[in-house]
Amino acid sequence: MKNRQTLLTRITNPKYIMVYATIGIFLVIYAAGGFLYGDKGFLTLRTFVNLFIDNAYFGISAVGMTMVLITGGIDLSVGAVASLTGMFIAYGTTVLHLHPLTCIAAALVMGVGLGLLMGWVIHYLNVPAFITTLTGMFLARGVCSLISRESIDIHHPMIDALAGWKIYLMKFADGKWVRIRPIAFVNFNVLLFLVMIIIGAFILQRTRFGRNIYAIGGSEQSASLMGLPVGRTKVLVYGFNGLCSVLAGISYALYVKSGWNLSLQGGELEVITCAVIGGTLLTGGVGYMIGTLFGVLLKSVIPALITFNGNLLSWWGKIATGLLLLLFICIQRFVVTSTGRRKS
Amino acid sequence: MTGKNILEMRGITIEFPGVKALDGVDFSLREGEIHSLLGENGAGKSTLIKCINGVNRKDSGTILLDGREINPSGPYEAMTLGISTVFQEVNLCPNLSVAENIFVGRQPMKHGRINWSEINRRAEELMSRFHLDIDVARPLSYYSTAVQQMTAIARAVDVQAKILILDEPTSSLDENEVQLLFSVMRQLRDSGMGIIFITHFLDQIYAVSDRMTILRNGHLVGTYNINELGKVELVTKMVGKDMDVIFSLKRANVPEDSPVMLKAENIGDGSRIDDMSLTLRKGELVGFAGLLGSGRTETAEMLFGATRAVHGEIFVDGEKVSIRTPFDAIQAEEAFCPEDRKRDGIIGDLSIRENIMLAVQSRKGFMHPMTRQEQTELADKYIALLGIATPDCEKKAGELSGGNQQKVILARWMATSPKVLILDEPTRGIDIGAKAEIQRLMLEMCGEGVSVIFISSELDEIIRCSNRIIIMRDRAKVAEVDGASCTQQDILRIIAEGAA
Amino acid sequence: MAGKRFDVAGLMQSKVTWAVIAEALILLVCFVIRPDFFSISYQPSTGMLYGSLIDIVNRSAEITIISMGMTLVIALGGTDLSVGALVAVAGAIALKFLRWDVLTYTTPGDYTVYPYILVIAVPLVVCALMGLFNGFLVAKGGIQPIIATLILMVCGRGVAQILTDGKQFTTGYSPFRVIGQGSFMYLPMPIIITVIVVVAVALFTRKTAFGAFVESVGVNPSASRLSGIKAGNVILLVFMITGLLSGIAGLIYSSRIMSNDSNNAGLNFEMDAILAVVIGGTNMAGGKFSLAGTVIGSLIIRTIVTFVYYFGIVAEATMAFKALIIAVVIVLQSEPVRKYFARRAAMKGGAGA
Repeated sequence: MKNRQTLLTRITNPKYIMVYATIGIFLVIYAAGGFLYGDKGFLTLRTFVNLFIDNAYFGISAVGMTMVLITGGIDLSVGAVASLTGMFIAYGTTVLHLHPLTCIAAALVMGVGLGLLMGWVIHYLNVPAFITTLTGMFLARGVCSLISRESIDIHHPMIDALAGWKIYLMKFADGKWVRIRPIAFVNFNVLLFLVMIIIGAFILQRTRFGRNIYAIGGSEQSASLMGLPVGRTKVLVYGFNGLCSVLAGISYALYVKSGWNLSLQGGELEVITCAVIGGTLLTGGVGYMIGTLFGVLLKSVIPALITFNGNLLSWWGKIATGLLLLLFICIQRFVVTSTGRRKS
Repeated sequence: MTGKNILEMRGITIEFPGVKALDGVDFSLREGEIHSLLGENGAGKSTLIKCINGVNRKDSGTILLDGREINPSGPYEAMTLGISTVFQEVNLCPNLSVAENIFVGRQPMKHGRINWSEINRRAEELMSRFHLDIDVARPLSYYSTAVQQMTAIARAVDVQAKILILDEPTSSLDENEVQLLFSVMRQLRDSGMGIIFITHFLDQIYAVSDRMTILRNGHLVGTYNINELGKVELVTKMVGKDMDVIFSLKRANVPEDSPVMLKAENIGDGSRIDDMSLTLRKGELVGFAGLLGSGRTETAEMLFGATRAVHGEIFVDGEKVSIRTPFDAIQAEEAFCPEDRKRDGIIGDLSIRENIMLAVQSRKGFMHPMTRQEQTELADKYIALLGIATPDCEKKAGELSGGNQQKVILARWMATSPKVLILDEPTRGIDIGAKAEIQRLMLEMCGEGVSVIFISSELDEIIRCSNRIIIMRDRAKVAEVDGASCTQQDILRIIAEGAA
Repeated sequence: MAGKRFDVAGLMQSKVTWAVIAEALILLVCFVIRPDFFSISYQPSTGMLYGSLIDIVNRSAEITIISMGMTLVIALGGTDLSVGALVAVAGAIALKFLRWDVLTYTTPGDYTVYPYILVIAVPLVVCALMGLFNGFLVAKGGIQPIIATLILMVCGRGVAQILTDGKQFTTGYSPFRVIGQGSFMYLPMPIIITVIVVVAVALFTRKTAFGAFVESVGVNPSASRLSGIKAGNVILLVFMITGLLSGIAGLIYSSRIMSNDSNNAGLNFEMDAILAVVIGGTNMAGGKFSLAGTVIGSLIIRTIVTFVYYFGIVAEATMAFKALIIAVVIVLQSEPVRKYFARRAAMKGGAGA
């Protein structure tokens, strides 16, 4: 009896079940939205693209967060670091009259440096990731407040240009390219999000560094006995997540064109939620970028539905997200018990 | 068999604070041989292994690999030198695929990217060398322990190892899987690899090895060809004294009219065991024989409520009891030492005192606490009674050796003065001295009127201790034989062929 | 001699020791800069004692109360992220019952629409039930606590908002004011409530075998079950206690502001409570726990904040300052550092002998 790999076994490989579940539930909710509010234009390309535009900064951060979660860690500092990045850009350009690139460079040094430092403390001082990154969050938030307690607007030609830059979606009609109606476009944030997803997927699937991340999440002890560079990998993962937080901060600054010390409060949990409903296990070892992409979409389609309804309080969004989380956890639970115990 | 030495260790000494773990030990391994390393727990086997693969640093002595001195700083460096170790617990990542577990850290690359098809193809090749025809792209956790063990060996072998160290690879394998492992070991030996093999099963040593080295208390006892030394001599050399204790054990004496203590009628859990009946008399010891997965453990778990029996009836001391959880079973004065000591038995971070008082306390309920003094008295009593090696009862149970941990669990149950005691592999993975003592305790308890169910993979100890033996096969009872009159061959035949 | 030497090394190994040292150091610094930091005065008009120390204990009440429950949750090897949201829910329900129909009772005043007993009891019962829901997911669903409680953390504030239609009510009902602003035996009421809660939890865990069961389940749930402990019930009870304590903290919080604030009430309380427990020496992986350590951990967190206010350091710096001190404490408590000091202590002792 041959039991070799075939296309069928590849597709039915149990490790993909969660990703299928995310995509499936997204499609169901999207279809339900189309059924309910199709007449209001829910199914238009514009609505779909807006899901990306309104949530790109969460998505960018979720790329790094997914990797951290796969190692079995957690990073609570991402919201604060993104917020601090916004403060760097706003305070730097508006108050100090620095060039935005200088501010961004400073933010990158800050974000990546903090990430690496936290990774070092987590691995070499053996402090729980939860506590280390919580302290990182307090620190970044504190520095935000030290810079300013007021919201600062960003006015700089380069920022304006970057925020205003967009590619209109076109279609071919009557022998020439025309903008589709209603108008839909992709901006810098969306491209950055998609590029980060692709980079993240490449790192995870096609590099030794990425595979070491999975190995550490599966069993850190085994990984080190197999001779994998556990410490280095963990430190770098937190560093990379710091980079993602800074990029998310830049993206958010472009989105709201201001910096505020209290912006993105609780953002870390939204990002974690995106990753979890994207099929990433908080216990580590399991997670895919494609899942995270759909996790972000799934989480953002709910506020969109509430907006389309028009009568519901936005608080229902939180409750719906909570219920979604519950649903996913139950599915995960079911999948884990049904595949984990099956032995050939 | 007369190949040259690939590994030579001379005068190895390793000291830990307060003890000499190894004292001037010499050891050599030839090309193309399977060399068993023997000794009781604490004899220095694992220290020696860890010295070869660099986990422990030696204090003096030399290690020569192919005549050149080496000083590996860890398992990874040892691996690059050609020394691969497969540890007792499978040290792989359950979430990665079988193929990836073999190659992670040294994946073949193509254009700066991992070449997945190459990984899967090579893994398939390797696994088919071991007669395993499986989908190597599935996660490791999807497969049985045996496949996981083979994967670990495949990983060790694929790094072009000259020396393969197998630290108790067979402890969780069943008979067929052991045979498969042995054929792989022989295959590797014939290709010129030197294999160091550690196991507690004496039969396996004779089945597969060419030479053996015996250690005792950190000293070398000697290295022998396999046919030089009989089993009894071997055991004598390992323990350093005659094993009269073991061989003088007398099975319990059960009077004809002894009342039935435990009776199960047609119990089943709805999936694994369908229809199981048994009786157990007061003071009787009933052994469960059968291969791993034959239903021994499943039956025991059902009798104790660890898994729920969906049908059938259980009577304890003549009364029908409803056992849905372990708590119910404890109320019915049953006790159960589970098979996986580390996962289901010992509570490592708690003290010996807390481990011992736990079952008594849970029977009382948490609203009726025992005072600290009562707990200490209870713990001290059993530490003395069972000879648990510890300075005091506040030591963490996780820091004890395997045999002492087993005694702590036994103490936990003895403290509840049970009527029925179920022991699932209580002697697995512990050294011969501790084994003998556990068997002695078991029989003593029978003498005091406790009824014991004893599950073990080692037939000789089942035959030695049991009044009756229930033989399981394919998740059902196939025969019941008298312990005094049956032989190992009888039982093996029934296990192999079904009902007598 | 050997025994004593071992004790010094053992003491240096203990995280609680480091927490006490840290708190003592912070207070010492306060004393050196301003000796009157320790002064306590009596205010006859309110019948209460005043002073920085009183203020520290008073203001740490909510976190201390919650972290009593959190200690047990962490001893089980879990975390409860929902406590902050439950604080908001408790406040929302209390104010809902005080001001039921805002259209009829348009101005806040010294009255309550529903009986006072309901104002107190319903939030506590609801929070306990929400805790029970968390416990149910963990114990019966086998879900990791951090995720199970993430659900209520995400939707808890939504529930609080919907209960109050997204509005903020205020009240002037004086019996309600007593909870957060009243006094008893010269001490602010929150301190009294805290002491009662701490003593109750300590008695419940240490004078029964419940604490030992929690530790046992935290270390090895499977072995605990096979030893006859009803692990599921232990988990349910612990999460329910934590929910109830969050409710008490929520009542204190909303009584302090005499209002409900579903957005900000209890914000980051889960983080502070977890921090207090960990600084107090309980291992996040579960097992042995120390309630006394947790109280000290909670005091440390509050002392830092009071320190900043008291010395007129810009309020903006509070958060960053807090982060820095916590970072120092955590690094000092980390395993490698503790081992280093323990070795030093052992060596010193050895040299002395």
